[in-house]
Amino acid sequence: MQFLNNYSNRELNIWAELILDIIVSFYFFSKIFPLIINGQLYNEALVGIIANTIIISIIYSIFVFGAINTLTKREEKDERDYIYELKSYRISNIISQVSIYLLISLIVFNPINQVRLNEFTAPMIAMILLIITLLSSTGKSLTQLFNYRKNI
Amino acid sequence: MTQVELAEKANVTRQTIIALEAQKYSPSLELAFRIAKVFDVPLEEAFQYN
Repeated sequence: MQFLNNYSNRELNIWAELILDIIVSFYFFSKIFPLIINGQLYNEALVGIIANTIIISIIYSIFVFGAINTLTKREEKDERDYIYELKSYRISNIISQVSIYLLISLIVFNPINQVRLNEFTAPMIAMILLIITLLSSTGKSLTQLFNYRKNI
Repeated sequence: MTQVELAEKANVTRQTIIALEAQKYSPSLELAFRIAKVFDVPLEEAFQYN
């Protein structure tokens, strides 16, 4: 419990978000990579992994964010919080935009299909969008933590 | 006055007061006026530009 007192409610929420990103990335990539290596990246398997990843995220969010907001005092955001939030959203937005442009290029030029590694299917696009979400969320959390820690 | 009391009166978080004291954060004009009002001093007495 002493650990919780050293961090503000907002900072704990950001840490929890970052840990969620790490857990989801670890689960997702540990399931995806063997399929890619063995050339078994079929739609059914992919859909199952994506669904499990989303379910894990929801369960984690309910328990962890619920616990943090129950055990620590919730604080109203002030101007400093909003400034750091904006900075983090800027980074997150840049990551999302660059990734989406890359995804559009992939869809248009489809190099994956050209080398005949795999079909560029809807679940595959869902997988790439999930990776983009993870990247932008991690970028957002890291930027916020960097700003909060740098000023203490 | 404690950091918590000042934070409550100026309507900001304690972390913001810590950052202000450590000169790691420049407040908005509005917050600067609020803090000066809490101490009942003019703005230029509460804050100085370095």
